[in-house]
Amino acid sequence: MPNNTPPPLVHVIDDDAALLRALTFLLESASWRVAPHSSAEGFLAAWTDPAPPGCLLLDIRMPKMSGLELQRVMHEREIALPIIFMTGHGDVSMAVEAMKLGARDFIEKPFRDQTLLDAVAMAVRCSVAHHEEDSVQRALCERLQRLSPRERQVARLVAEGLPNKTIGQRLEISERTVQVHRLHLMEKLAIHSAAELSQMMLRANPGS
Amino acid sequence: MTARRLLAAASCLLILLIIWPICALATNAAPIRIGVLAYRGTGEELSNWDDLPAQLAAAIPGRTFEVRSLAGPAMREAVQADELAFVITNSSQYVALAAEFGIQRIATVTLREALSSKESLGSVVLTLASRDDLRQLTDLRGKRIAAMAPDAFGGYLVAAREFLRVGVDLEVGDARLLFIGFPMRQAIEAVSSGKADAAIIRTCLFEQLAARDMLRAADYKVVAERPTPGFPCATSTPLYPDWPIAAARRVDRQLAKDVAMALLSLPPSPSGMTWDVPADYQPVSELYREMMLGPYADLRTSTFQGVLKNHRFFLLAVLLILVGGVVHAVRVEYLVRRRTAELQAARAQASELQKDAEHMARLSILGEMAGTLAHELNQPLATIAAFAQGLARRCAAGPVDAALVAETNREIVAQTERADGVIRRVRAFTKKRLAVRECKSIGSTVNEAVALFSHLQPDLPEITIDDWLPLGAQIEADHLQLQEVLLNLMKNAADAMRELPADEREIDISLAKGDGVVSIAVADCGPPVPAETFAHLFEPFFTTKPDGLGLGLAICKSIAEAHGGRLQVEPRDPPPGLVFRFNLPDARHAK
Repeated sequence: MPNNTPPPLVHVIDDDAALLRALTFLLESASWRVAPHSSAEGFLAAWTDPAPPGCLLLDIRMPKMSGLELQRVMHEREIALPIIFMTGHGDVSMAVEAMKLGARDFIEKPFRDQTLLDAVAMAVRCSVAHHEEDSVQRALCERLQRLSPRERQVARLVAEGLPNKTIGQRLEISERTVQVHRLHLMEKLAIHSAAELSQMMLRANPGS
Repeated sequence: MTARRLLAAASCLLILLIIWPICALATNAAPIRIGVLAYRGTGEELSNWDDLPAQLAAAIPGRTFEVRSLAGPAMREAVQADELAFVITNSSQYVALAAEFGIQRIATVTLREALSSKESLGSVVLTLASRDDLRQLTDLRGKRIAAMAPDAFGGYLVAAREFLRVGVDLEVGDARLLFIGFPMRQAIEAVSSGKADAAIIRTCLFEQLAARDMLRAADYKVVAERPTPGFPCATSTPLYPDWPIAAARRVDRQLAKDVAMALLSLPPSPSGMTWDVPADYQPVSELYREMMLGPYADLRTSTFQGVLKNHRFFLLAVLLILVGGVVHAVRVEYLVRRRTAELQAARAQASELQKDAEHMARLSILGEMAGTLAHELNQPLATIAAFAQGLARRCAAGPVDAALVAETNREIVAQTERADGVIRRVRAFTKKRLAVRECKSIGSTVNEAVALFSHLQPDLPEITIDDWLPLGAQIEADHLQLQEVLLNLMKNAADAMRELPADEREIDISLAKGDGVVSIAVADCGPPVPAETFAHLFEPFFTTKPDGLGLGLAICKSIAEAHGGRLQVEPRDPPPGLVFRFNLPDARHAK
């Protein structure tokens, strides 16, 4: 990483004070710099340009300005921070809308730490690439961004060289479903083999 | 009033619809009970039935079986009480139960040694080889004979019949019987120790014990041995069929057939036991008849029989009069009881229905709000997970400050309490219960309802409470039901204002005292309601919501009426919006 890029910063917005503390605690335990905010308005007020690369972990349900509204405002203000939405049970329609508007990712509460940290790492990696104007990395990120969260999980395990059966067991889905995800993600990434995928994942996410 | 009746009918229907498939399932799923005579003789064949339920269940899909081990008298009681579908027992008990309760054999056990299913076991009369004086059964008249039990088949009855045939009636003391119980080999021990002159045991037991070196065959001899070609064991009697399995009279014929087929197709057990087509138990019946035992026991009371014969017309007349009187008394008693029971049942059913309807209404409110509830629980769960996983990561990375662990732990515990609180509130609300009226502050009831509502409702509108009641005003009512009404009204108000901008949504609750009534009004500021909707608001199953049941207001109304109060609706003044007014009689005023 060239020296002129400031260290990445992960923003978290949640109106639930306890969950905000918990998320900060978890992200810090994985050595991220974290900026917690209790509302979308607070986040916007604290925003200064130019900002370091990073990502935004955003609760989709909030009392005043909701996650979706903030996403729209960020669009208008051209704040190019990748957004990871946190959704609860039954918020699927909202999540779909968010993805349509270009959300980076969404994870469902309650989540596994690894799912959250993977999503953050991937989002930050894209943001850094954007900052460094590294066109190869950016292209890679943008392609990986097209994957659904589940496809991304499958991609990570395929890249590790695991067979479909093991992946199915790991993710508690059928081998057949793994097969379908695998076909889709290969298509979206325009690649043809697990080896290509593993190279690609390594280049896009050298840290992991 | 019609609304209420409609509601009752509708609840009936719904409850039926809900319960019916459950009942149907339950009867299918209940295990089919098989009673097995508790047998503690030698050998595993007739004492170990552990595998039978699984074997039957495997052969008959959709059914489960359960084996119950019962001693003789307990078996009879269970058959009498109709607790068993099938009975596996010895031949003599089968014949007795068949005569008394009409159980029907469907298969017969055949042991390896058996000649056929109907020639499987008999009795052996054993004595010491040195007893030259004992050769015939008649030689045992007046001697001491050890046997197992008065109702043991191979261990007593079969031999007793042969004794009777040669004129020695063991039942009336022609010999001195020692019933020594289980295990059967104690009868042989009684012979070897000199306590008895002879022993009656089941065929093949002697050979089995000899094969296991538990006795020396040469020390004993068989009294009145009958040559039986092909049968590998010595016997003093003809052979009879072994244990049958019989079906109770109420058992469905198809099921009985399925069980019989399943048993017949089982492979032989390790000891060589198989199931065969049911044997003819007529010889066993004849044994009983000759012995005048079991179903024929009354034949023994011959003197009584004589009296009966001589005076039968007189006795019959007396009996008829007696029976007539008893029948009349019983009939009157029966009618009185039946009417009383019907009355009680009707009353119980009515209160049960009321309870169910209210329970369902509560559940339907919760169902509509389930999404929010899941959210409410997800928050603490996500928080707990993040803290716990964060801590695990720090621990994995190196030593962690004890204060940090303690602080994280505190956070986690606080979240579990938060989740617990949500669950407790919901559980208290969903519990099925009988109406309980108590004098309680109306203000606190309203506050609790608002607190519960704010947990269940997304995009909570602003709620204001105007309390115009005298300080600490109480009301005698079922306060949980009041909360239910309030929840319903608040939910309706919130739904009515769904389309409004967030800062315009407002619910006003006002509590006031009027002429002998306490009134709770819930007002919204939703858009105008069309006149036809307005007219049908309180009708059951009338709803304007895509996911609504249309029971909420109807139930609220019935609750209000049950409290001697009223639930009314009027346009809000000034508009926009509606006001639902819940009037209850003032407890103090009523006194």
